[in-house]
Amino acid sequence: MFFPREMTEVELIIPSKDLVTVTKTLSGRGVFHQVDSAYLGIESLGPNAWQEKAANYSALERRIQTTMHTLGLEEQQRSASDFDTIIDLGAAHADIDRIEGEVKEVGERLLAEKKRMELLESQLRQIEPISDVNVEVGALSKSEHLYSILGVMPAAQMSRLETSLARVPHVFFTLKEDSQKPVVWLLGPRSAYDVLDRAAKSAYLNPLTLPEEFIGTPEEIAAKTRKAIETSKQAIFGLEAQLKKLGDAHNAELQKLWWDVHVSRLMADAIARFGQLRHTYVVVGWVPTAELQALTERLKAASKEILIETMPTERTAHSANVPVALTNNKWLKPIQELITTYGRPGYGELDPTFMVMLTFPILYGAMFGDLGQGLLMMLVGALAHKRIFMKGLQSIGLLLVYCGFFASVFGTLYGSIFGFEGHHIQEYLGFHFEPLWISPVNDILTILGLAIDAGIVILLFSYLLSLFNAARAKDWAHFWFGHTGVVAIGFYLCFLTILNSLLGSTPIAPKLAAAISRLPLPFGILTPIFAVGVMLNGLFRNIVEGHRPLLDGGAMFFVQAFMDLFEGAISMLSNTLSFVRVGAFAVAHGGLSLAIFSLAGTEPTIGFWITIIIGNIFITGFEGLIVYIQTMRLHYYEILGKFFHGGGMRFEPLRLNPSQEEA
Amino acid sequence: MAGGVSGYAAISAKVRAMYSNLLTPQDISRLSESPDFSSLISALKHTQYGPYLSALKDNELTPRRAVQQIKRRLADTYASVVQMSPTQARPLIRQLYRSFELGNLKAVLRSIVTVSSSWNADEAPWDRVREVLFPFGSFSTLPAQAMVESGSVASAVELLKGTPYESAISFALRRFSAEQNLFPIEVALDLDYWRRLWTEARKLKGLDREAATKIIGSLLDMNNLMWTARYKIYHKLSEEELINYTLPFGFRAHDDDIRAIAAGADAAAVISRIFPTIPDVAALLEKPHTGLPKLEVQIKRQVIQQCAAAFIGNPFHVGLPLAFLILSDLEIQDLIALIEAKSSDISDEELHSTLLKTALQN
Repeated sequence: MFFPREMTEVELIIPSKDLVTVTKTLSGRGVFHQVDSAYLGIESLGPNAWQEKAANYSALERRIQTTMHTLGLEEQQRSASDFDTIIDLGAAHADIDRIEGEVKEVGERLLAEKKRMELLESQLRQIEPISDVNVEVGALSKSEHLYSILGVMPAAQMSRLETSLARVPHVFFTLKEDSQKPVVWLLGPRSAYDVLDRAAKSAYLNPLTLPEEFIGTPEEIAAKTRKAIETSKQAIFGLEAQLKKLGDAHNAELQKLWWDVHVSRLMADAIARFGQLRHTYVVVGWVPTAELQALTERLKAASKEILIETMPTERTAHSANVPVALTNNKWLKPIQELITTYGRPGYGELDPTFMVMLTFPILYGAMFGDLGQGLLMMLVGALAHKRIFMKGLQSIGLLLVYCGFFASVFGTLYGSIFGFEGHHIQEYLGFHFEPLWISPVNDILTILGLAIDAGIVILLFSYLLSLFNAARAKDWAHFWFGHTGVVAIGFYLCFLTILNSLLGSTPIAPKLAAAISRLPLPFGILTPIFAVGVMLNGLFRNIVEGHRPLLDGGAMFFVQAFMDLFEGAISMLSNTLSFVRVGAFAVAHGGLSLAIFSLAGTEPTIGFWITIIIGNIFITGFEGLIVYIQTMRLHYYEILGKFFHGGGMRFEPLRLNPSQEEA
Repeated sequence: MAGGVSGYAAISAKVRAMYSNLLTPQDISRLSESPDFSSLISALKHTQYGPYLSALKDNELTPRRAVQQIKRRLADTYASVVQMSPTQARPLIRQLYRSFELGNLKAVLRSIVTVSSSWNADEAPWDRVREVLFPFGSFSTLPAQAMVESGSVASAVELLKGTPYESAISFALRRFSAEQNLFPIEVALDLDYWRRLWTEARKLKGLDREAATKIIGSLLDMNNLMWTARYKIYHKLSEEELINYTLPFGFRAHDDDIRAIAAGADAAAVISRIFPTIPDVAALLEKPHTGLPKLEVQIKRQVIQQCAAAFIGNPFHVGLPLAFLILSDLEIQDLIALIEAKSSDISDEELHSTLLKTALQN
């Protein structure tokens, strides 16, 4: 629950005769993450014929798809069980050759006819704008003094063409406006034909080309073109009807053929990555341990002689090559998305989802404490999750529910409902509602101090999780001397005593820091010892890990060491004080509500209630969003950074059908 | 449509965190001191690129594969930034990302032309091409394999129907057919790409628009100036062609500057006026074969500074993700230069002149 799903490394030795059935079993379950044998150091004997087969299946699949598309047929995915065995290439070729033979000729004729019609339409578009010009098109090019180019060009290039001809006398007409292909006419002196020509070419002005049989005035050419288009349309209609008939006749056969070839291709791709020995194949991969038993039974049923070796995997720092499958729980999904945006947990690492599942909504609720607005947020979240209202928020619907729940809990503790607090509740809502714990607006400094205390608890817990991670990974250098190691924690505790001595008499002094200061420990001696430890943690890590040279960079090492200490102290201060925002936002929430009341006035008129309703919607949307950002920031910067590294490899099991559920 | 603080809070926090993981000039300098390719890879394994390089066994880490793995990180970075960006910024970031798809498209077209002229029976064309393509993933609209296997540029272009490249390439195809040279197609694709990027930047509003036009404008400045210089010096193009093959927008370099160079003005003087901190532009242009790549490096360093400036001040705008992505891309260019240098006989002096980050401080 607190780690990614436990994985077991599986090594299979498969007799050649059972290769296909075993591969089908492995692919059909969606639980086996394959490791390419090329990375295992298993030398294949001879060229891998399966690579060639995979390429052949791939080419065949494309041919089938092309034929299906020509016939207007969509591929239909089937279930993994709707597949018997790898299809024989020869037979599949024969089938597709036969169908292709029938379809290809009609398809090619249709394509050629469509191209012809497209060309005719394009020519018509170019000639129509000048159909009222009563000259022969060919005559334009025979003028003695004028050089002219009539054609189409990219609309975006038109102004550039004019700019490029600034030094040459010319006339430039747009005969037909078109956002993609305007028809233009460029005229200039024949003496400057080379400049005009170069400019037109480089601006991608494509001169109009008409079939030789289309001669005469533009009007005559347009009439002939329209007639040709009509004939072409009829031909296309006839060919399409033929294809429809062929599609109906071959649909079932093509769908079956495509599915068989498609799955065969997927399996051949997988087998190509198996290690091949003389009479056997070696397959290595990862299976979630919970699925291992079921998979093993199926594999043994598929092949009596299969050898299965399983190796449970330890969660150490060296398990970077183990794929990571996170717990598949729909209630945790929005939190998991927050975590994976930051990083995918490593296999040996604590999955912080459960911790963040608690801290995120609690911190959010503490900053946005309001019973009414919290319940409203829960309602919106639930409706969005069910895609009834605000569908765009579906992915964070559950998160809104969690945050809304804790906002309403803290609203009860703060005595706030839809922005009404204290006497306002009795006055306007007609009932009594006192804070169960504290009113942030009335006890500003107390709530700020409490926020720092909460921050210290969370930071210490994060430090301890970091130690836990390092100990599990047996990374002792970082356990003791890492940035969040034992020495750093010791220094943080000493730092808190210093903080207490600075803030001791103020109302925002954190009580936890005061309690630590009262411990019977010689902090005066411990502080410089831990400070030196933090300064020289790089040196100590080198000693523990056996890295040489111990001191890299001579005198600069000490300058850097001092800077490390300085940076460490500053970040401890900023990390701790960063949690003040939790209290500050709780206060700001009350302040914002007061501002809405100032706008609404004091008399409970209709205008008053409208202002209150609009104000509440605004606060729930706007402040709710800002608090969300702040909560995310606290987690990304202050909390996760202490113990969570990420960088895990995604679990990607073999599967025959993309819709197959992940294990 | 979330904008400002609400829209950019998450992405700005994430980008700032990722920004701090970019390699510093000191890191690049240390990496450049690696004696050979394998020590460079060992050193890189201790950086953010480590997980990508560790995915391959040591004996499989050829320079080409190492570069591919490094590019994978950039692809992941783009995917994550696009996913987290507010709705109004996504079209711009996606279009910026398309520059790699554009590179893939050019590589595919070049491979078709090369294969048809020098056919190699030992290796299928697609196998050769796929290794140099940027790992674009599901964002790609290119049917790259089908294009390569189509065997001709015209058939490959047919397959681009419905993609953002269809329109630009269809206009240039006629010139390709006549000249049998990919130059007009590549220029048309470049112009179309940058026009779309600029349009997306201009579609934004307020601070977003200001930040985006500054950063994208800086890239356009670089391209316009380098295109003008290269077309003029290497291709000997005329004034009208230079104007048609460049774009009339940018941040510091204005259309008048480009037109002045096209009309024959002293390019060095114009460039020095636009980038007064770049020294000896005239000397660089005197020996264009060595000078132009150096000038490009200098202008790219200006772009780096422009991008770094986006991280100062109000962080809630599209400038941060844009700047970060461009910096990540430029960092990878440095790493590619390092990998190529360490796996061949390029001297340290030559290498340092191509690195973008060594002369700068963060």
